[in-house]
Amino acid sequence: MNKLNRFEKASVGAVALMLLAGGAIFFYAPTDFLQGPVQRIFYLHVSSAIAAYGCFAVVLLGGAIFLRTENYAADRWARAGALVGVVFTTVTLVMGMLWAKKVWGAFWVWDARLTSTLVLWIIYAGYLLVRRLTEPGRQAARLAAVVGIFGFVDVPVVHFSVTWWVTHHPGPVIINDALPAQMLATFLFTMLCTIVLAAVMITIRYRIETLMDMKQLIAGPVHVVITREPEPVQ
Amino acid sequence: MNPFRAAIAVARKDLVSEWRTREMVPALAQFVVLALLIGNFGFQIDSRNAPSIAPGILWLALVFAGLIAFGRTFAAEREQSSLEAMLMTPASPVAIFAGKALAASVLLILCEVVLLPALSLFFGTPFSGDLVVAVLLATIGMASLGCLFAAIVARVRARELLLPLLTLPLWIPFIVAGGQAVQSAMGLPGSYDQAIGLLIDFDILFVVLTSLAARFVLDE
Amino acid sequence: MSMVVANGLTHRFGPEIALDSVDLVLDTGEHMAVLGDNGAGKTTLLRILATALRPTSGRLEIAGLDAFRERRRLRHYIGYVAHNPGLYPALSAAENLEFFCDLQDVSRSRVAEALETLGLASVAHRRASLLSRGMQQRLAIARAILHEPRLLIFDEPDASLDADAADVLGHVMKGRTAVIATHDHALANRLCPRTLVLRHGRSLGTATHLRVVR
Repeated sequence: MNKLNRFEKASVGAVALMLLAGGAIFFYAPTDFLQGPVQRIFYLHVSSAIAAYGCFAVVLLGGAIFLRTENYAADRWARAGALVGVVFTTVTLVMGMLWAKKVWGAFWVWDARLTSTLVLWIIYAGYLLVRRLTEPGRQAARLAAVVGIFGFVDVPVVHFSVTWWVTHHPGPVIINDALPAQMLATFLFTMLCTIVLAAVMITIRYRIETLMDMKQLIAGPVHVVITREPEPVQ
Repeated sequence: MNPFRAAIAVARKDLVSEWRTREMVPALAQFVVLALLIGNFGFQIDSRNAPSIAPGILWLALVFAGLIAFGRTFAAEREQSSLEAMLMTPASPVAIFAGKALAASVLLILCEVVLLPALSLFFGTPFSGDLVVAVLLATIGMASLGCLFAAIVARVRARELLLPLLTLPLWIPFIVAGGQAVQSAMGLPGSYDQAIGLLIDFDILFVVLTSLAARFVLDE
Repeated sequence: MSMVVANGLTHRFGPEIALDSVDLVLDTGEHMAVLGDNGAGKTTLLRILATALRPTSGRLEIAGLDAFRERRRLRHYIGYVAHNPGLYPALSAAENLEFFCDLQDVSRSRVAEALETLGLASVAHRRASLLSRGMQQRLAIARAILHEPRLLIFDEPDASLDADAADVLGHVMKGRTAVIATHDHALANRLCPRTLVLRHGRSLGTATHLRVVR
C-alpha cells in the first residue's frame, strides 16, 4: 500500500474535520426557533466568509512582501491565497443567496455584507484574470500585488459605505440574535475547521504554484523568436 | 527635479495633444447626449420624480465616461513607447502618473461642465454649487483610481474587459457617497455634509494609495 | 575606467529565454555594435543596458554604479533610442523636444542645438506625425541627446534613417560611449570598431572589424 505524502495526510485530516463540523451542525446544534432548519446554513456561510477574508489577507501580505523584497515565494503564496479565496467567496455567496431566498423570499439584497462580499469576489476574480492575461514574470507579480492591496483595502471601505447608505435608506436587515451556547460552540468549531481546510488548500496550491514555476525554468529550451512589429515599408 | 513641474508638463502635453487631435471629445460628448436621451425615454420622468432619477442618470454617465477618459490615458500602443521614454528621464513615475491623471480629470470635468447644466435644463432638477462640489470631489478619487488601473491593464491582454472589472468595485464608495450628496443637493432628504465628508475621506485615502502604488505599476 | 560592465545578463519572458548569460565590457568612449538576426535578443539586451528593463538575473554596472540600485541617478548618463521612437504625433518637433527638456530638467536652449545637430531645424514647427520616418528617427535621436548623456544606446537607428545615416550617427556618437544594434554589417564596421554578435539570446563573442562570410 502506498504511503500518503504529507499533503494527502493533511487533506484527509482537513476533510475529516469538516465532516465532524457537519455532524455538529446537524446533530449537536439546536434548530433555530425563528428561521427553522435553513438557519444551519449560517454556520458554514459565515465560516466561509471568514476563511475567504483570511485568504485575502494572505494575498495582501504576499503582495506587500513581494513588492518590498522581490521574494517570489511571497508572490506564490499570494497566488494560492487568491485562488482559494475566490473558491470560499463563491461558497459564501451561494449559501448567502440560498438563505436569503428562504428567509426573505429574495435571492439578493443590497445590504452591506452581501454587497461587499460580491465586491470581494469581483476584485479577486479580477486579480486572477490579471495574472492569467499577463506574461508571467516580475511585472505580472507587481501589478497583481497592487491589485491585491487595493482589493483588500476596498472591501471594508465598501462595507462601510453601504452600511452608511443603509442607515439612510433602511431595508431588510440580517437579524443577529445573541447565540445560545450550543450554537456558538458549533459556530466556533465550524469556523476553526473551515480555517484549517482553507490553510491546507492554500498550502497545497502554493506547492502547485511552486512546481509550475519550476517547470517553466526547466522545460523550455532556448528558443523563441521575439515577435516584432513589421519593418515599415519604405 | 521638481515633481510638480514634471506633472504639469505631462498634463499640459496630454491636453495639448488631445486638443489638437480631438480624439476623446466626441466619445465623451456621445455619453452626455445618450445619458440625457435614455433618461428621457427610458424612465417616466415628471417633475415629482425627477430628483430621484436624475442622480442615477448622472452617475451612469459619469462612470461610463470615466472609463473611457481614464482608460485611454495609457491605452494607445504608441503611448507605451512614449511612456518608456518619459520613464527614462529623471522625472519620478509618481509625477508622470499625477500628470496623466490630472489631464484625464480635466477632460472628464469638461464633460461634467456640459452634463450638469444639461441635466438641470432637461429634467428640471436644481443646479447648485453643492452639486458641482460633490461631483468634483468624486471626480478626483475616481480619476486617481481609474488611471492607476488603466496603467495596470495597459500591459495586459483584454484590457477593455479588465478595466471596468477592476475599477468599478473601487468606485463604489464614490458612487454611494457621491450619489447621496447629489441627491441631497437636488432636494431629496439626506445629509449632504456627511456625504461630502465621506467623499473627502475617500479622496485622501485613495489619492495617497495610488501615489504610492504608481511607481510599482509604471516602472519595470 | 569601464563605462559598462555586464555579467551573466539573462532574461526570460515567461518560459522563453530571450537572453542567455551575456557578458560584455565597454570602455569609456568606445563604440560597439550588436549584430544579430531578428529575435536574437538585441532589443532585450539594449533595453537592459539602458536600464529600461530589469533582467531576470545578472549584474550590470554603468559608470561604476550598480545599474539596478542607482537607476534614477543613471538617467542622466544614458540616452536611449528605442526601436519604436514613441514621439507625440500631435506635437511639433520642437514641442516634443521642449517637453523632454522639461522632464530632463535641462534648459530649453538645448532644443535649438539638438535640432541643428540632427538637421531638423527646417521642420522644427512641423507636427511629428507629418514628418517622414527618417526625420522621426532623427527627432528621436535629438531627444536622446538633449541632456548630453555619456552613454548612447540606439536600437536599429539605421532602420529608418535616410542615406546619410552613417554621417549623422557618427557625428552624434563622437566623444561618447555608444552601443548600436543593427542588421547592417557595413554600418557596424564603419562606425564601431567592436561588434558583439548575438544568436538565440547567446553571445557569440566580440570581434573587431567583423567580416561576414556567407
